[in-house]
Amino acid sequence: MPVGRSTSVHSAGAEWTDEARGLASRRRWEARAETPRAPRRFRGDRLAPYVLVAPALLIILGLRLWPLLLGVNFSFTGDGDRDGMPVGLDNYADLLSDPVFQIALRNVGLLALLLPVAVAVPGLLATFIFLRVPGHRVFRSVYFFPAVLSPVIVGSIFNLLLAFDGPLNSLIEGIGLGPVDWLGDPKVAMFTVVGVHIWATFGMALVVFLAGFSTLDPTLVDAARADGATVAQMIWHVIIPALSRTIQFVFVTTMIGMLTSMFGLIYVMTSGGPGGSTYLPEYYIWVQQGQMNRPALASAASTVLFLIMLVMGLVQIALLRRAGRED
Amino acid sequence: MRGPRASTWIVAVPMMALALATIYPLVFTANVAMKTRHDYILDRFSPAGSLNWDNVVTAWTSAGMARYFVNSLIVVAASVALLLLFGSMAGFALSHLRFRGSRALFLGCLAALFIPFQVIMVPLARTMADAGLIDTYPGLVLAYVAQFLPFTIYLMASYYSGIPREIVDAARIDGNTVYGVFRRIMLPMGSPALLSVGILDALFCWNDVLIALLMMPSAQHRTLMVGVTSLRGQYSSDIPTFASGVLIAAVPVLVVYLVFQRQIADAVTAGSTKG
Repeated sequence: MPVGRSTSVHSAGAEWTDEARGLASRRRWEARAETPRAPRRFRGDRLAPYVLVAPALLIILGLRLWPLLLGVNFSFTGDGDRDGMPVGLDNYADLLSDPVFQIALRNVGLLALLLPVAVAVPGLLATFIFLRVPGHRVFRSVYFFPAVLSPVIVGSIFNLLLAFDGPLNSLIEGIGLGPVDWLGDPKVAMFTVVGVHIWATFGMALVVFLAGFSTLDPTLVDAARADGATVAQMIWHVIIPALSRTIQFVFVTTMIGMLTSMFGLIYVMTSGGPGGSTYLPEYYIWVQQGQMNRPALASAASTVLFLIMLVMGLVQIALLRRAGRED
Repeated sequence: MRGPRASTWIVAVPMMALALATIYPLVFTANVAMKTRHDYILDRFSPAGSLNWDNVVTAWTSAGMARYFVNSLIVVAASVALLLLFGSMAGFALSHLRFRGSRALFLGCLAALFIPFQVIMVPLARTMADAGLIDTYPGLVLAYVAQFLPFTIYLMASYYSGIPREIVDAARIDGNTVYGVFRRIMLPMGSPALLSVGILDALFCWNDVLIALLMMPSAQHRTLMVGVTSLRGQYSSDIPTFASGVLIAAVPVLVVYLVFQRQIADAVTAGSTKG
């Protein structure tokens, strides 16, 4: 945090703080329990931490971390007749030669290209709300709302709005433009789905940006204003450097959101079509696992998705670190 | 930008247009739900003359939305209860107790936070099938708890670590066991965080479709979101009934949002500005 003290986001006494601090400065209860005044509590208190973490430990180890290893291992075995047999890299070779998976990878590239837009739009809107554009209170509440709606609901609503004989087309025909096959044209459909995703989620990033602004030292903004800075100069020289950590957080969470929470939209709006043009790795995994009955191939796709996320996350953090150092 | 100047309106007007574009799709859907099929085909945009609840009743009864609604309520309630219980227990231990392996557990928790469901869904589905938990309520609840527990623990631990140790020490001197401190100090003092995290967890579970499709494939076990997706095929020529089903699934979220907007924003932004 370069600027300002973190402010409490909660009205009650305690606040969300960095967990690491709590870990480092914790009181050592074991030492206290060993004093002769409480000999009978000794055994129970020593076991207590393990009792408290036991359910969480079992669930996270058994149902999150272990399946990750299991899945990677599984991706090197075969499907169908070769079920359980080691097949080396066959699944990965199948994946890369599958035109549908190639489209899914190309769409990931498209998402990466659109990522700066998906971050800049809520960032700009948050800046204007922070600078108290008329109606700023209402904007915050309204913009955030679609972010809490299920992709299924959002997708269903846009299915109605974007149908070929639907309202949006009759609207643009009304102003003299031809109808667009929003969900049926392979060249258009992916942009439509991504557009709806951004419509539905920009409020999430907006709220995170606003939380970042609440930690911004107001005297910095006042000083910049007194020096006659334009809004553009203020954004470039004051806000971006001061909010670098928030911007990094939004980049990473938006990317994760694009790669892992568009299943509902694709499932409802296009089912991956037309012509496989709206496939993403997550949808591919689901189809291979369920409909195609090729779980080992799906596991290979899962591993690739995990690697993509890892690489994109690390690259972004490295880029933003470097940008932060140059300032 | 103190006081509305001409330049601020250059920004404010597009922002108002965007706000309208944000609300309009839901308003449109609600309006369609109130129309008869005939009215909808004649004119999609005009306001429904009167409130016609027939479509909503059809969606609720003959389309089975009532059944799906109850399924979702059961699963969400059980999942959130377990998430808050396990999450606050582990969060308390990680933030206030010292024990062997606590650091490793915390790091494991953070790592799990970054494993998306899509990456582990194939082996998880296998494990669940082997355990006979596919298409059962406990199976889906367990899948949700596993999915959202790392996040819940992380938020509870960071909230609890803001509770001063002096309070905890005082309770210890008064003769409380570790469990007593958890029950009498941590649970009551952590209630704002339990509320925020609980609401967000409830929204996550309520809104999910992928995990539910995978874990609860049979028709009578559909959750509300899976139900909405099946409604589309069932009522493809009866758009007002379909819109009513969408509305039934959206209204509870709207109500929760209007009441708890601040808590949701707190939970979403926790961890974004610190560290």
